[in-house]
Amino acid sequence: MAEVTARRGAGAHAVAGAAALAAGAKLPAAEAAGVEFEASFAGETASVEETASAPEAPLVRVAGFSFSYEEPDGSLRPVLRDVSFAVKEGAFCVVTGPTGCGKTTLLRSLKPELAPVGVRAGRIEACGQVLLDAPSAEECPYAAADRAKAPSAASAPAFDPRACGHVSAAQAAPLPKAASAASAPDPRIRAAQIGFVMQDPDAQLVCDTVLHELAFGLENLGTPQDEMRRRVAEAAHFFGIEPWLHAACETLSGGQKQIVNLAAALALRPRLLLLDEPTAQLDPNAQSQFIALLARVNRDLGVTVVMSTHAPEDVAGCATCRLELGAPLAPAPCAVACERLRPRWRARAEALAASEPCLVVRGAHFRYGRGEPWVLRGLDLAVRRGSVHAVVGGNGCGKSTLLKLMAGVEKPQRGRVGNALARSQALLPQDPKALLVCDSVAEELAEWRARCGWAPHDERAMLSRFGLDGCETLHPYDLSGGQQQMLALAKLLLTGARLLLLDEPTKGLDPQACADMARTLRALADEGRTAVLVTHDLDFAYVAADEVTMLFDGEAACTEPAEAFFANNLVYRPSAASRLFALID
Amino acid sequence: MNPFAAWHPAVAFAFFAGVIALSMAAMHPVYVALSCAGALGCLAAVRGGRAALRALAWAVPLVAVVAAANCLFVASGSTEIVRVGTRAVYVEALAYGLVAGGMLASVLLWFSSYAVCMGSEDTLALFGRALPTTTLMVSQVMRLVPQFVRRGRIVAAVQDAASAAAPATARERARGRLRVTSVLMGWGMEDGLIRSDAMRARGYDCGVRRTTYRRYRFGAVDAALAGTVVALVVANAALAFVACGQFRFYPALSALVPWWGYGAYALLLAVPIMLRAREWWLWRK
Repeated sequence: MAEVTARRGAGAHAVAGAAALAAGAKLPAAEAAGVEFEASFAGETASVEETASAPEAPLVRVAGFSFSYEEPDGSLRPVLRDVSFAVKEGAFCVVTGPTGCGKTTLLRSLKPELAPVGVRAGRIEACGQVLLDAPSAEECPYAAADRAKAPSAASAPAFDPRACGHVSAAQAAPLPKAASAASAPDPRIRAAQIGFVMQDPDAQLVCDTVLHELAFGLENLGTPQDEMRRRVAEAAHFFGIEPWLHAACETLSGGQKQIVNLAAALALRPRLLLLDEPTAQLDPNAQSQFIALLARVNRDLGVTVVMSTHAPEDVAGCATCRLELGAPLAPAPCAVACERLRPRWRARAEALAASEPCLVVRGAHFRYGRGEPWVLRGLDLAVRRGSVHAVVGGNGCGKSTLLKLMAGVEKPQRGRVGNALARSQALLPQDPKALLVCDSVAEELAEWRARCGWAPHDERAMLSRFGLDGCETLHPYDLSGGQQQMLALAKLLLTGARLLLLDEPTKGLDPQACADMARTLRALADEGRTAVLVTHDLDFAYVAADEVTMLFDGEAACTEPAEAFFANNLVYRPSAASRLFALID
Repeated sequence: MNPFAAWHPAVAFAFFAGVIALSMAAMHPVYVALSCAGALGCLAAVRGGRAALRALAWAVPLVAVVAAANCLFVASGSTEIVRVGTRAVYVEALAYGLVAGGMLASVLLWFSSYAVCMGSEDTLALFGRALPTTTLMVSQVMRLVPQFVRRGRIVAAVQDAASAAAPATARERARGRLRVTSVLMGWGMEDGLIRSDAMRARGYDCGVRRTTYRRYRFGAVDAALAGTVVALVVANAALAFVACGQFRFYPALSALVPWWGYGAYALLLAVPIMLRAREWWLWRK
C-alpha cells in the first residue's frame, strides 16, 4: 500500500464553501467549489481559529491528525500525516484520494466504535465530543481507557513524541469506569449521533429481513417499543422502502441493500453520517439513486455528511466541500482521450479485420427456471480472436448471464455457444474473493503452478507487474479491493489462458487501478489473447475495448468497433471528463 | 397461505406444539389416523391441495417401509398371516408397524406445515424477549445460510470456468471441491469482521439492555383462540391417556368402539382447516 500523505502544500485541500455557510443554506455547487483554501496543519492553527470564530462551531474538527499502523515486526507504517480540516453542521463533505491514502482510516477515526488500531496523534472533535486529544495523553479517553486495561501499551515505543494515543481494539468496548464521566458520554448518544455506512452492501447487513435491520440499532440502544415503531416507520417512509419492508435481505439488489444500510443508520437519528465509499460496489443506476437519497438526507433532514469516494464527479451536484488526500488528479476531457486513443483504434481495426471469430453465440435463449422469464432471447454475438470485447447494457439485461454461457457454466436452452478456446479460458468473477483460496498472496499465485507448469520467477514478475511487490506474505483479504482484483487477475494470467472472461473488472477500483487494468487488457490483446468483459463502466470500455456490444432485452442490439459505437450513441457515451482519461495514453 | 397469519404467533405455536406432542405420544390407531388426516388437511390448507398430494408420495412409502420392517423383525402377536421360511408374520405386528409409521409420517407432515406458519420472524416475536442474543443469532443464521449456498455456486462456477488451470486428475478435482468450503469459510469470516463493525457502529453491546421490536400485539381475540387451543390440547391429552391405556397391540389387538373422545381430537386438529374455511367464507364472492 502506498505510503501516504496529506502533506503540507501538496496535501490536504479543503475545497470548501461549507466553513462559511450556515447549516441548511447551501451555495450552488459551482460557487462552493470556487471557494478554496488550504486546510490548516498542526502548528499553524490560524485557519482553524478562523473556522472556530464563525457563529457556530464546526460539527467535525480535525487538527494535526496523524496515524500510523503498527506492522507485525514492530515498525510503523504512517498513513495520515498532519491532516486538519473542519466540517460545518449541515455540510456535505467529499473525501477523495487514491487507494491506500487513508480515507478509510480517517473516517473510522471519526467513529469511536470503529477507530482503527494504531499509533495516533492530534485532536479530533465530532458532535461536541473530543474523540482524540493526543498531545496530552491523559486527556485522551481512549488512551486512558487503554492504559487501564493494558499497562504494557504505555511502554510501547512511540515513533513521535506527540504520538501518544496508542489505541488497541479494547477501546471499542464500553469505557471502563476509570475514564472520567465528562469525557465519556452515554454510549447510547455516542453510537446514535454518528452513523457509519461502509462499502460492502452485503456484509454490513446484520439481520434476515429489512424490518429487523432497521430496528437493529434501536434495539441495541434499548429504545422503547413505541418510539422504535415511530423511528422505523419514519426511516422506511423517507427512503420509500415500505414495499420491501418484509423482504429477506438476501433477495434485495445491491443498491437496495445499500439503501437499507443507509436507512438503518438514519433510524438512529444521527447528526453526522460517515460513508466510506458507499457506492463503489453499485451499478450506475443504483449509484445515482443512492446519491440522490443521500443528498435528500443532507438537505431535508440537515444531517451532516462526510463521504469518501473514488468518483467525486457523481456527487458534484450536492457536495458543499471537498477534502483531497494525496496528490490531486485533475480530470481530463473526453476529447483529449479520443485524440490519444484514435491511433490505437485505427491500428487495432486493421489488425482485427483479418481475425476470425473465436467465440460465437448463435440464437441463444436462456432462462433460470421453467416458470422464469427469458433472460436471453435469440442473442447473436461473435468475438474476434485477439480482441478486447466489451459488453455493456442496463441492469438485468443479461450481461452476467451471457458471460456464464460463454464460460460454459450455464447451457442455453435454445441456440448454441461455440467456443474455440474453451480448453484455455478463465473467468474473473465480480467478487475476486471467489477465486482467492490461499492464506497468502505468494501461495495464491503458486496454487496452480504444478498444474500449468510455470516457474516461480513468473510469479515474481506478475507481482511487480501488478504493483503487489512486498505483499507476498499478506493474506489476500488484507489487500484493498483493487489489489484483490489485481491479484485475482494475476492468478488467471499465469495460467496462460487464451480467453479471459471478466465480470465487472473495474468495480470499486480507483482511476489509477482502472488505467492499469486497461493497459493490462490491451497488452493481452496485443499478445493475441482474447478478453471479453461485461461492464457498466462506459469510460473504461471507451479506453480499453476494441469492439463493444450493447445488450438490450436479451438481444445484442448492436456490435461495433469502440470508436464507431461511442460516436453513434446518444446515451451510452463516456463521461464528458474523467480522471481515467488523464491517465490513459 | 398461512391460516394463522392474522393471529399472534403464540396461537400457531400453541397449536403446533400441542398437536405435535399429542401425535408423538398417542400410540393408538384412531388417534394416529386422525392425526394423519389432520396433518394432510392442514398441509392442504397451508400449502394447497397439490402440495398435500405430493406429500403423500413420500408419506405412504414411509408408512409401508416401517410397517414391513416391523412385521419382519418383530415376531409377536397371535394371528398369523403368512410364514416366510421359519419366521411368522403376525397381524398385530403389522398393525403396530402401520400405526408407528403413520405416527412418524404425521409428525413430519405437521412439521412441514409448522415451517410455513412459524417463520423466523414469528419465532423471534415469541422468544425475542427472553433470549435476545439467541434470537439475533437465529436471525443472522437465517440470512447467512442462503448466502453461503449462493456463494458456493459462484465459487464452484469460477473453478469450473477456469479450464486453463483444469485439474488433471480426479483427486485434484475432489480437492478443488473441498476448497470451496474453505473459500466460503474465509469469505464468511471476512464478512464477519465487517459485520461486527457494522453492529458496533450501531451500538451493539454498548452496555445498554437490548429491547426488541415486536410486530405483534397479543389482543383479546388472540387470547381467546389461544385459550381454546390450549384447553383442547389439555383435554385431549387426558382423553388420549385414557384411550391409549385401554388399547393393546399385543398379544391381540383390542377392539375399537365409537367414542366421543375421538371427536374432541378431531375438533382440535381441524383448527387450521376451520380458520382457512373462515377466510374462504369471507372472500367467497
